[in-house]
Amino acid sequence: MKYLLFFFHFYKTFIAWSIIISILIGLLNPQYIPAIVTKFFLILFAWYVTNETSAKRKLTFYKNMGISPIYLFISLLFVDSVFTIFIIFLFKTF
Amino acid sequence: MVLEVDNIELNFKHKRILSGIYVKAEMGSVTGILGGNGSGKSSLFNIIFGNLKPKYKLVRINGEPILKPLYKTGLVKYLPQYHFVPIGIKIRNIFKLFNVCWSDFVQSFETFEKYKNQKINKLSSGERRVVETYIILKSKSTITILDEPFSHIAPLYVETIINLICEEKERKIILISDHLYKHIIDSADQIYLLKNGTTKEINNLRNLEDYKYLNDGQLD
Repeated sequence: MKYLLFFFHFYKTFIAWSIIISILIGLLNPQYIPAIVTKFFLILFAWYVTNETSAKRKLTFYKNMGISPIYLFISLLFVDSVFTIFIIFLFKTF
Repeated sequence: MVLEVDNIELNFKHKRILSGIYVKAEMGSVTGILGGNGSGKSSLFNIIFGNLKPKYKLVRINGEPILKPLYKTGLVKYLPQYHFVPIGIKIRNIFKLFNVCWSDFVQSFETFEKYKNQKINKLSSGERRVVETYIILKSKSTITILDEPFSHIAPLYVETIINLICEEKERKIILISDHLYKHIIDSADQIYLLKNGTTKEINNLRNLEDYKYLNDGQLD
């Protein structure tokens, strides 16, 4: 439960961008696999940027609860993929 | 419980930052790390916590080597020099997340009562430091690392924090570093000086002058 709350705080920083990108994918090519692959590479890029810049400091908050960055980013990929599938589903349906 | 750190070698490009480190910290005592600017105190703390990967390191708890980053064990809490709590989180939520009692906090720091429902970024830098130091000190852990806990903090609060450190040391291993050396001398039970990338145990405070960390006569 506590992990979920920490993850929610982490996800909050990405959610606006995630919605925008999901809507763009939905408008341009509403297909599940390409959408998830796109999200995978974007999250990989976010992980790289976080590790190589001062944004890395923000991870200390989560590390203090024993949560490693790799867990955070894998959880991010999982939750964001589910969210993306839902948005693509909406685009395909309507 | 005993935490030992040794065999650390840290280089940045071709510059050697740390080598020949040995620090032993025990539960029930506060271990102070002193050192000039750029001596590697924060790097040492980052290595112990697991934020920074050196060329070599050996961290042991009760003689057992810890091969994964220490933070992954869930035993350690670390107060870095920078503000580590993300902006946008309400103060009461930070206390909930770290399982720290808000009412105990306002008993020690009465002026903070009005901030309960405020977001952390609404506080001044010093006030934010007080909140961060408190949650790190009071949340459940076995090892607490405090990097410059007194910086930007009002003298009135410094005294309270020193008292809290003395309370918490009974059940924790506490590692502390600060440029306000008098506070470290007052609160630490053992002191290491970090100089030329190595640690020197300080058994006599006069050694701080001998090693040129302090000017001659500064302790008088």
